[in-house]
Amino acid sequence: MAAPLELSCWGGGWGLPSVHSESLVVMAYAKFSGAPLKVNVIDNTWRGSRGDVPVLATEDNIVSQPAKILNFLRKQKYNADYELSAKQGADTLAYIALLEEKLLPAVLHTFWVESDNYFTVTKPWFASRIPFPLSLILPGRMSKGALNRILLTRGEPPLYHLREVEAQIYRDAKECLNLLSNRLGTSQFFFGDTPCTLDAYVFGFLAPLYKVRFPKVQLQEHLKQLSNLCRFCDDILNSYFRLSLGGISPAGQEMVDANLQKLTQLVNKESNLIEKMDDNLRQSPQLPHRKLPTLKLTPAEEESNSLQRLSP
Amino acid sequence: MSLVAEAFVSQIAGKVPFIHVGNQVVSELGPIVQFVKAKGHSLSDGLDEVQKAEMKAYMELVNNMLLTAELYLQWCDEATVGEITHARYGSPYPWPLNHILAYQKQWEVKRKMKAIGWGNKTLDQVLEDVDQCCQALSQRLGTQPYFFNKQPTELDALVFGHLYTILTTRLTNDELSEKVKNYSNLLAFCRRIEQHYFEDHGRGRLS
Repeated sequence: MAAPLELSCWGGGWGLPSVHSESLVVMAYAKFSGAPLKVNVIDNTWRGSRGDVPVLATEDNIVSQPAKILNFLRKQKYNADYELSAKQGADTLAYIALLEEKLLPAVLHTFWVESDNYFTVTKPWFASRIPFPLSLILPGRMSKGALNRILLTRGEPPLYHLREVEAQIYRDAKECLNLLSNRLGTSQFFFGDTPCTLDAYVFGFLAPLYKVRFPKVQLQEHLKQLSNLCRFCDDILNSYFRLSLGGISPAGQEMVDANLQKLTQLVNKESNLIEKMDDNLRQSPQLPHRKLPTLKLTPAEEESNSLQRLSP
Repeated sequence: MSLVAEAFVSQIAGKVPFIHVGNQVVSELGPIVQFVKAKGHSLSDGLDEVQKAEMKAYMELVNNMLLTAELYLQWCDEATVGEITHARYGSPYPWPLNHILAYQKQWEVKRKMKAIGWGNKTLDQVLEDVDQCCQALSQRLGTQPYFFNKQPTELDALVFGHLYTILTTRLTNDELSEKVKNYSNLLAFCRRIEQHYFEDHGRGRLS
């Protein structure tokens, strides 16, 4: 257990510790379960492999793929699901399957297949972190891999056409986002007050979609309308990833982070207050309409009176 | 309910499920469910939003794990492929079409497995995944008669279809059905549905 755990993964941007969903899932889980991970961000030197990222390296073995890495961490006693009941554990598996089947194709499409997004955002970002001449080949290969996965799991053999499945996968993804939003409701995490595996997976899939700036944004727009999911992502970023947003000057970056954090907390508090006020107004019993007294109201009072009449 | 379950069972047996209503033909589980819903019969009306989300999630789990495991066992496990699948898949066609189509299908399935990351899985790992999935289903079912208590839903139909096929199809090794048989409440679930909805179609095959 004292063996150092090193995670190789893609780096961050746009306020995220990593823009790669699977890397983000592992990083989030490590934070939730308290596993001490040393994160090695892939950069454009020739160090490290890029194949099966994210990869966890310990003294004795190398584990790839998020599910296997999470299993490994659990065996090392870093278990974020300790307090879940058996049924909640089963629900976790089911929701992860839902994410992979319904949401992942559309996320892959947004990042890797949609040409505007791919050529203006994804490809330059990844190419800048891969040494030449691999930077000419690897992004293209990742893009083809994503396209393959979408077509083979959603398309109809023997001729696979992207256009047929595009509309379907976005529809499925939007439905999945709605389902997640319904399931989350107003709670802070999916199973109570402490985050667990499912929260790591949802965060890993949603956060890049939420934060990365794309030209073609239909799925992002849909996500932004589901405020509880956005709040979920922001909460996790603020609570668990505050200090590890890679900065140039650590002191300056910390100050910026602290300010940002204060601002975010203020905004969150305000929106909570507004929500509470809204709820109160909705729940308060409807007063019978009173006949306005014939006294002359001052302009301020008149304004507040008319505002009260307008609220539902 | 019986319509949906029957349709699903015939899918796994190798025939595309379809229903013929008047001059309309609707095929495959998803569209059939939608069609029946449009006609006013829906099994999941009584569920609230959170339960509907759960139901959809579990249906995806079944599709993700059980369906893929069945495909793997049929097409990527050399013993099964050689003895059973090739012959069965190619049987409606004359030589050499039967060989060509069987190889083509095998190649397609292997491609799909590779794309979703199952390409390097061994049979043991696949069986472990199936075990995990069955455990999740068993825990979700608990002691209830159906997954969402008293009324069967689309999820029950889907799970029944898959488990029934796994339990009744004879393959070279019985490990897959042994995994399912470990969970007594799932076995009881299948028997219950078979007796309740299919008893007029002849003697049950599960006992």
